[in-house]
Amino acid sequence: MSSTAGTLQLGRERGRRLSGIALWLVLGLLIVAPVGCFILLATSPRLFGQGSQLFTLRYVSEALSGVTGQGLFNSLWVSVVVSVLAVALSTTLAWLVHRTNVFGRRLWPILMWLLFLVPTWMMTLSWVDVLQPYGSASAIGLPTSWLYGEFMGPFGIIVVLTTASLPFAYFVMSAGLHGLGSEYEDAARVHGAGRLATLRTVLPMVAPALFSAFAISFAETMSDFGVPFTLAYHTHFPMATYTLFSAISSFPANFSVAAVMAIVLILTTVPPIVLQYRTTTRRSYAVLSGRSREIRRREFAPASRWLVSAGIGLLFAVSVGVPLVGAVLGSFVRDLGIYAGGAVRLTTTYYRQALSPSVAGKGFSGPLLLSNQIALGVATLTAVLAFVFARRLASGTSGWSQRVTDFLLLGSVAVPGVVLGVGYIFFYNLPVITLHVINLYKTLPLLMLALVATALPGQTRLLAGPLGQIQSSLGEAARVHGAGLWRTWRTTTLPLVSRVMLWGWLLTFAKTIAELPICQILYAPSQEPLSVTIQAYLGNYEIGTGTAMTVVALVEMFLVIVVALGLFRVFTPRGWRRIGWSGVSS
Amino acid sequence: MEWSEFMKAVSVSISSVEKVFGDKLALDEVSIEVGAGEFAVLLGPSGSGKTTLLRCIAGIERPSSGEIRIGEQLVVSSRVFVPPERRQLSMVFQDYALWPHLTVRQNVGFALHRRPSAERRERVSDLLDRVGISNLADRFPSQLSGGEQQRVALARALAADAGLILFDEPLSNLDADRREQLRIEISTLTRTAGITAIYITHDQSEAFAMADQICVLNHGRVVQSGPPEKVYRDPVSAFVARFTGLAAELPATLLCPCGASGFDVALPFAQDHRVSARAPIALDPDAPVRLFVRAAGVRLERSGHDGIVGEVRDVAFVGRGYEHVVQIGPEHFVTKVFSGERHERDETVRVCFDPAANFVLPVQEGVQ
Repeated sequence: MSSTAGTLQLGRERGRRLSGIALWLVLGLLIVAPVGCFILLATSPRLFGQGSQLFTLRYVSEALSGVTGQGLFNSLWVSVVVSVLAVALSTTLAWLVHRTNVFGRRLWPILMWLLFLVPTWMMTLSWVDVLQPYGSASAIGLPTSWLYGEFMGPFGIIVVLTTASLPFAYFVMSAGLHGLGSEYEDAARVHGAGRLATLRTVLPMVAPALFSAFAISFAETMSDFGVPFTLAYHTHFPMATYTLFSAISSFPANFSVAAVMAIVLILTTVPPIVLQYRTTTRRSYAVLSGRSREIRRREFAPASRWLVSAGIGLLFAVSVGVPLVGAVLGSFVRDLGIYAGGAVRLTTTYYRQALSPSVAGKGFSGPLLLSNQIALGVATLTAVLAFVFARRLASGTSGWSQRVTDFLLLGSVAVPGVVLGVGYIFFYNLPVITLHVINLYKTLPLLMLALVATALPGQTRLLAGPLGQIQSSLGEAARVHGAGLWRTWRTTTLPLVSRVMLWGWLLTFAKTIAELPICQILYAPSQEPLSVTIQAYLGNYEIGTGTAMTVVALVEMFLVIVVALGLFRVFTPRGWRRIGWSGVSS
Repeated sequence: MEWSEFMKAVSVSISSVEKVFGDKLALDEVSIEVGAGEFAVLLGPSGSGKTTLLRCIAGIERPSSGEIRIGEQLVVSSRVFVPPERRQLSMVFQDYALWPHLTVRQNVGFALHRRPSAERRERVSDLLDRVGISNLADRFPSQLSGGEQQRVALARALAADAGLILFDEPLSNLDADRREQLRIEISTLTRTAGITAIYITHDQSEAFAMADQICVLNHGRVVQSGPPEKVYRDPVSAFVARFTGLAAELPATLLCPCGASGFDVALPFAQDHRVSARAPIALDPDAPVRLFVRAAGVRLERSGHDGIVGEVRDVAFVGRGYEHVVQIGPEHFVTKVFSGERHERDETVRVCFDPAANFVLPVQEGVQ
């Protein structure tokens, strides 16, 4: 028996090594090879049969000039403006929610989650529905045509992208402020600092959170595809992700220019992500949690309290209310955007059209079902892979294998979806791959792999924190008291990460249903995912039907989330639910 | 039902165990024998290898070489490694390692999952009663104080019906009162249950109070082992002497042997006075030595001709009397000198040494 156990142990070590290699292989095929080959193409087109030059910088100058150069420039300055605005708004909001007695302190974070789930193309569509001449706002008597002109340009792009960036910045700032006990402010005050001096003392302590919030907003804005695809393109305001998409969707496709743009996009996204990573992993403000005392909230006077709360309400009315109300109205009002003699005519036609095959022959239930199946598969596969990767990252060893995995996953966060999609099209269509390895080009599995690849880095990071916080002694205690590997995982690890795993699964599920760039680039013929179908309807000026589909998809996403959380609440033991997001007792 | 009916104490044999982490040798040829039912304490400073050794016994770490037997079962050798869950032992962790999502009852009953539920319930209740936390059975660990959490960890370890319990500095996170209380409970409960215990600590008073056998570790090696009285009275090295509690360590010169294993020594700052002390190991008469003074081997006199003249530098009331710090010579102090009466600061006293309680060791050892 003992010898067998010894053999098992040695086998387990071999297994660990093999699993490490397998994980690298997965990362390589999912992310490194497609993106790596694609960006190599920028300077060496001959390597991939895309030209005669083994090394050239011709495409660099081509990509940095003309409309593509303008797209990159626009994306850069818009991202900077959006990030500054998002950080300013989210910091104020986080401070009000966590440090004052403002009303609705439970409601605002929920609305922030709601905002987080709404994709940017859906937001744009709703804003246009609301503001356009004879749109939703006109229908209820609000003249907004003057604003519509402004909205259809950089102003509108910045508004939508800022509201889309708010949740990212808010979550980071909330974490930073939440851990900052009020004793630091108290200490400054009792040692003679005034309000301003106190602020100057405390602000550097949340500087890492501020940097993180800026970095993540910048990266998200830079890599966004929904707004450039739906708004920027129509307003002749080129942005990088759309011009990249255009470069490969035009005929003949210019992969080399697209590759240069991909490099620039990744390069601009890497520094903020690295900065964010460094500030959070150094845990510069980790000392602020744990022993910090209960925070003391600033008590507003009744009038100020109402005023500030109303201000927050207005912010959410604009950021969450407009997209949701706009979408709902757009789906129920007939001929929205078309002069109808002043009368608002409510209709369910669009929903009936959406739920039955349309004239164009594209049903809605098919793409909806397909998107749900894709999301189910992608979310589940991502959850399993993310757990394995996160466990490796959180294992505490600092070997080179772990560092490389960490670096690859971190780098992958900086790869925008559109770059990944184009990388997949390029790599998995290479003759050497299609003829000698596997032919996945334009198939559903390839689309799903790309969606897993785009969700994996983020979800791994999400899980790595809680897994890293689980004391190794908990698992050791289980083993010492007679539990094997499986029982140890089932009884000690799983309960502690179940909530964060469920949230990770739900986020991937919802984001996959709403995902646009990868679906748009990689969907298999005759197997259109929902987001592509909706875009097709919108592109065909069937706005009402497209909007109705959007509303149904949104409702379905929220229902899935509510049901999943409800099931978790009903079926998991009480102790599982006591464990907070970070894996410690809440 | 007696506990000893459930448990069968086992012996533990550790033979030439080595453990290497990268280029660091954490355990160096460690060999220890612990008899069935014995309470062994591994005593050593941080980094001495005691936790690594305990984790090797538990199966959490695999030794680089050597053998470990638990009872008749060979659990570690070059070809054998039995995983922790098959070693039939239990453990109390330094951070308690209570599962935060399980109640006290579920934590304690973890190792009994194969038992019929009625038996499991009865046994868990019995254990919670014994450790005095039956009223906390449905609470979660985060709702308990440190002392209560430690009791849960103890009950969980006892519940496992193992013949061997390992304790990894279980009292280090508790305040002084709770430490004392729980020390007594651990000592009593394990002995009542008739289990073999291996307990690690860096606190010499805890070690002496609990152990049947003490093994002192330093730099991954066992430097001395034996009954606590022997380790205290006859430390084989300056390290052991220091680690088991000293009132003073003074430079000395050997004068002449006295008695079977004793010497007279002279102190440089009191050449006219001879101090008698034992020599636990053989000494070279020409070698420089140091005098090691135990707190119990010193007393203060207000007057007379015995002892060395000193001045009281500090005095602390300790309930049953006073502990003093006395300066003897220009830069040497004797600490923890107990006296029933108070000697004020700057008072001149005479420090008298008990020949039976103090000892000399070679200076090389002192430098170590």
